Amino acid sequence: MESVGGRPEQVPLQIWYCKVRNVQWTGSAGMIVRERFRGLFKKYLLVLFLAVTIPLAINGVIEAWFGYRDQRARLDQFLGLQATSAAAEIHDFIYGITNQLGWLVQLPWTDEPDERRRTEALRLFRQAPAIVSLTLIDNKGLERLYVSRIGLNRIEGRTDRSADPAIIGARSTRIWFSDVSYNRGSEPHLTVTVVGNRPSVGAVIAEVNLKLIWDVISAIKVGKTGLAFVLDRPGRLIAHPDISLVLRGSEEATSKPFRTIRDAIGPAGAGFATSQDVDGYAIAAGAAPVQGLDWTVLVEQPLSEAYAPIYAALWRTATLLAVSTMFAALLAYALAHRMTEPIRLLEKGTERIGAGSFDYRISIQTGDEFEHLANSFNKMAEGLALAQQHQERIAKLKRFLAPEVADLVDRAGDDSVLDGRRTEVVVVFCDLRGFTEFSAEVAPEEVISLLSEYYDALGRVITRFAATLISFSGDGLMVLVNAPVPVEEPTLRAVDLASAMQKSVQELIAGWRSRGYRVGFGVGLASGSATVGRIGYENRFDYTAIGPVVNLAARLCASAQDREILLNAEAAEGVRNKRPLEELGDRQIKGFGDAIPVFRMSLKTS
Amino acid sequence: MPVVGYLCPESPELFASRLKAFHEGLGEIGFVEGRNVAIDYRWAGGQYARLPALAADLVARNVDVVVAPGGAQVALAAKATSTTKTIVFEMGGDPVQLGVVDSLSRPGGNITGVSSLSVDVSPKRLELMHELLPFAAKLAVVANPTSPTANSQLQKLGSAAETLGISLQVLNASTENEFEPIFSAIAQESSAGLVVTSDPYFAFRSGQLARLAMNYRVPAITQSRDFPDSGGLMSYGGDFAQSHRRAGIYAGRILKGEKPFDLPVQLVTKVELVINLKAAKLLGREISPSLVSGADEVIE
Repeated sequence: MESVGGRPEQVPLQIWYCKVRNVQWTGSAGMIVRERFRGLFKKYLLVLFLAVTIPLAINGVIEAWFGYRDQRARLDQFLGLQATSAAAEIHDFIYGITNQLGWLVQLPWTDEPDERRRTEALRLFRQAPAIVSLTLIDNKGLERLYVSRIGLNRIEGRTDRSADPAIIGARSTRIWFSDVSYNRGSEPHLTVTVVGNRPSVGAVIAEVNLKLIWDVISAIKVGKTGLAFVLDRPGRLIAHPDISLVLRGSEEATSKPFRTIRDAIGPAGAGFATSQDVDGYAIAAGAAPVQGLDWTVLVEQPLSEAYAPIYAALWRTATLLAVSTMFAALLAYALAHRMTEPIRLLEKGTERIGAGSFDYRISIQTGDEFEHLANSFNKMAEGLALAQQHQERIAKLKRFLAPEVADLVDRAGDDSVLDGRRTEVVVVFCDLRGFTEFSAEVAPEEVISLLSEYYDALGRVITRFAATLISFSGDGLMVLVNAPVPVEEPTLRAVDLASAMQKSVQELIAGWRSRGYRVGFGVGLASGSATVGRIGYENRFDYTAIGPVVNLAARLCASAQDREILLNAEAAEGVRNKRPLEELGDRQIKGFGDAIPVFRMSLKTS
Repeated sequence: MPVVGYLCPESPELFASRLKAFHEGLGEIGFVEGRNVAIDYRWAGGQYARLPALAADLVARNVDVVVAPGGAQVALAAKATSTTKTIVFEMGGDPVQLGVVDSLSRPGGNITGVSSLSVDVSPKRLELMHELLPFAAKLAVVANPTSPTANSQLQKLGSAAETLGISLQVLNASTENEFEPIFSAIAQESSAGLVVTSDPYFAFRSGQLARLAMNYRVPAITQSRDFPDSGGLMSYGGDFAQSHRRAGIYAGRILKGEKPFDLPVQLVTKVELVINLKAAKLLGREISPSLVSGADEVIE
């Protein structure tokens, strides 16, 4: 007996095929698949977008931060420089006056009135408009000359001024400055004393109207709209481009906002600070001390102007970031699409293939794993198509061949075994005795039920013996042995087949009899030469055998009694000494001219 | 377009130089007459008694700010008319002493302005005249009795004369017609020189005074540089160009919305000495080198 099992590699394919079909058939499963792919697109989109955007954002933030720091440092430097330069100008203004005062203390005093000094003092008035009055003190501390723009002059007044704080103060430092006083509560004034390089030249005391620093302070521009102002040690406003503020400088309310700015900066030169100006606008301010005086020069710039480059840089960064983000979004969309499109195609392809379109091919030319995967799917589809063809062929062959035989035929790869030819065959016919009468009396359901049991039993036997089922009609059945696939000892196999048939059916009949049905079963068997081959049309094909041996077998079957198997001489010869046969002698058989020898094999009752 | 009410004690001809300075000041704040500001003028033409009526007329008109230049009388006339309309004054005296404002740094009320030091420096003019004529025992002083500053000036001049050790011949003039008699009186009384007190009426008639002074060969000193410019000997007083310009600035700032009580009274501290050496030569006077060296301008 040859092995007729299926090819091992076909099994997984078949299982996979069923799985795919399941997925495709189950609506909800299909939805899940689609949802997952949609989720994948989202994931890709998000990941790609973030992969571009996060580094960009980090870069933007870092750049903005460093830009901000640089700009602040630049602003600090700028305001510091402006303050220092403004302080230098204020210093020059005051020391310009002291330098000129120095010319009045060059020559030693005598007791004589000094007309020349008066001329010089009046000339100094013209040169230094800020000087309101001048007092010349001689080496003894006596007032020798007082000249004023407003009041009357005093010549040789000779009052003792040696105890004047202005004189005492100047002795050690040569140049002495009083605290700022506000003339009539309005105009800031400063008293300056300059002593000569030796006691004999005396000293000069000058009253200076600080309002005139306005010319200097109003000329200082910090940036586009920034300005500078000066505070004295207690924090009163001495100089400001808005003269009306200076004229109220002695008032706490006027000076306080300016002092607040100074306090915000802290010790002069400690870097710039942000504060608010008189009108409450935010400003950036820097400070520098005036050398030689206890004054502070402050420079302020509106914050909007000071930070304009920072804002511009931030705006630039933000714009760049926004544009990059948009670009990243587009890029991510395109990439995600590019990545999920093959998956979508694969999904569609597998659905189509799953639905049975095995000729469908997934077309992906990405040159990567997706293309490999698509090719694999295509190969699989090809395999599935072959498997399906095979299945279909097997299904067809199985209609008349035993499954093993059908597989065998299929494995041979071609149908040539089914081609018409003349060969030695053993034909087996069998049918039930008295079944026609019986079927007329019993309900159709009962008839069909009985026939089902009957064919079920016969079918198992035919399959077991790998015989070829040619046809069945009603209760009759024709089986062929040795065609289309030749077997060893066909006659013996046919005889054993017939015996097995008898045995199976007789067991059934025993059961039936207990139910009151009286039927029998007979078998006819003939061996000889016959023409075998496939006949039929379109997709309906049968395998059949034609020849006298077929007729003979049918006749023998017809003449067989219940429990009998009738054989022709050739068949009997084939099993001689192998199976117990009984020679019945010659019998006249319908359709055969001469009587022919018939043999019988009875079923053992045991 | 905002409107400035301009109350002027004189005629446009006499006031031209001051008005020019005022326009400069307005222009500094960005206002140009006819373009973004209108000016409603009232000219008293030298008749100071008309000032209150003119001021009332201006206030009645819907002007945004009243500018009262040219002296304490103008400021006081404007102030008396309105307590709500903002007034910017320009004068020579002490606005606190005259009762125009409460204090320099906080003027208070609806008024602020600019004051030159012309009135304060009246004694200085006496000193200068004394320096020119050191041996003169008597100097003449002319005052305008209608001026609110006349008394205080005469008082200061009196004490200054005492300090200098000279006597004063005090003369009064409040109209142009009284000018000539003054000079003839000086000639009769043998006063060596004339000191003209600070008064706008005198200042605006510098040309007339200069002509009379030269005709009567009287060495004289006034507050206005117009005097030496017109042939007179000397002047010592505040710089009117600066004071009128600053009045213009203040008027502009008020039009921009600033409040008068935020604008302290500005003092024009610049006091200028102008000497006409030509006039000195004509008068046969020698001016000492120290005096010339102290002069802000010398006309040769």
